[in-house]
Amino acid sequence: MFNIKPARKGLFTAVSKSSRLTMLASPAILLATLLAGCATPPPPSDAAGYQAFQEQNDPIEPTNRFFFAVNDKIDRYAFKPIAEGYVDITTIGIRNHVGNFVTNVAEPGRIVYFMFGGKPRDAGTALVRFVVDSTVGVGGIFDPATALGYQETDTDFGLTLAEWGIPAGPYLYLPVFGPSGARDVFSLPAEFFLTPLEPAPTSLALRIFGYSETALRLVNTRAQFIQPIDQIEATALDPYATFRSLYRQERASQLQVIDQRDTPTPPDWYPAAPK
Amino acid sequence: MSFRRFFMGAMASLPILTVATLAQAQVPTDTAKAFITQAGNQLVTVVNSNGSESQKADELTQLVDQIVAVDQVGNYVLGRYINVVTPDQHSQYLTLFHQLLAYNITYQIKAYQGVTFVVNSASVMGNDTVVDTTITRPGQAPADVGWAVDEVDGSPKIVDVIVAGTSLRITERNDYASVVTSNGGQISALLSAMQNQIDRIKSNQ
Repeated sequence: MFNIKPARKGLFTAVSKSSRLTMLASPAILLATLLAGCATPPPPSDAAGYQAFQEQNDPIEPTNRFFFAVNDKIDRYAFKPIAEGYVDITTIGIRNHVGNFVTNVAEPGRIVYFMFGGKPRDAGTALVRFVVDSTVGVGGIFDPATALGYQETDTDFGLTLAEWGIPAGPYLYLPVFGPSGARDVFSLPAEFFLTPLEPAPTSLALRIFGYSETALRLVNTRAQFIQPIDQIEATALDPYATFRSLYRQERASQLQVIDQRDTPTPPDWYPAAPK
Repeated sequence: MSFRRFFMGAMASLPILTVATLAQAQVPTDTAKAFITQAGNQLVTVVNSNGSESQKADELTQLVDQIVAVDQVGNYVLGRYINVVTPDQHSQYLTLFHQLLAYNITYQIKAYQGVTFVVNSASVMGNDTVVDTTITRPGQAPADVGWAVDEVDGSPKIVDVIVAGTSLRITERNDYASVVTSNGGQISALLSAMQNQIDRIKSNQ
């Protein structure tokens, strides 16, 4: 009834490996390009308006809204119909297995992100999950690691940067990729390199596998959000602002969960302080 | 799985979120759980009943008025603009807020046919008591949903819904604030947008 799962309307966080170099430079290019369309802040004399503008931290809102509209069209006429067709021909069980599989493919990246973020426990969890699910879980289709007590963890390079103390920065709505920010945009190039496919020797079969995995991930993820996105579009006064709010809340929540879960504590062998 | 993960983070952030909200007495966790269990059972009974959609919508609207602190949530959503709104505008705003809530409920009835829920745990977070539930719908993965309960006018009422680390009232406040700021701080623009939204939903029904 109040399902407000933070839907990332731009779900297209993967493209072909052939565009890797472009992706490496993309954050800087995007930042420079997007700065062309800036929002005009209210005068400081309008205290409430000025405060609201500062809190929104969306200085290039006109440009962001333009790309939001573009992505909306792409989604409406391409991704959503495909996702609806996918839901029609699959069961929830199949979609869960696909979700397990794409989650497993991204585990090596999480190991690195957690290590760089100073979260060794989570890195260990991600490592065990990858080993167990890739083997016992038949290439990640099943998720026995969760049953063994290694719950799914989630992170990305943006959250690693947040662990380093880098603030989220201004909001960005990227063409094709969707909601992001000046910090989180750097997740995009990192994501392309930190997959098990990267170190493997190039081959046609691997390339086909990579394209297939990307397509499956996009469709499966979009299928999960059909109802929440429909709901937001039908009920929000300003869907752009709603997605922006959801994205920011979700990111803050993700960071908080990681910090709470992986809090450093003394090891068992460390002598307790005398009372 | 991931719903639970995000939800736990949201619960941790609630003390911050609720600082400026409905400063009332905290509801004991057992009371909050019993309240959500009862309210949830009533909601599920109506949603899964054999009545027509309009009947269900009417019953749900009445029920929501009883179990949700709609006026208080509406005032929270209005945010800082509550200081500049005129009494007439405020009254009009709350009326529209109630109507929009009713239409939003109607919009989602179909999607929740066959819904079941389980009450898990409850914990005090700031001024609210958050009750953690798991909601299951046919063909959908189970979702962890947190219900923030507060004492309003001497009885427990729902003041927020938290899913995957996101708060419904904060999301709505940002939504509404965007409309106001995009229109030079005019509350009248917000009222027009709300009325337009109601008209649009009506025309689609």
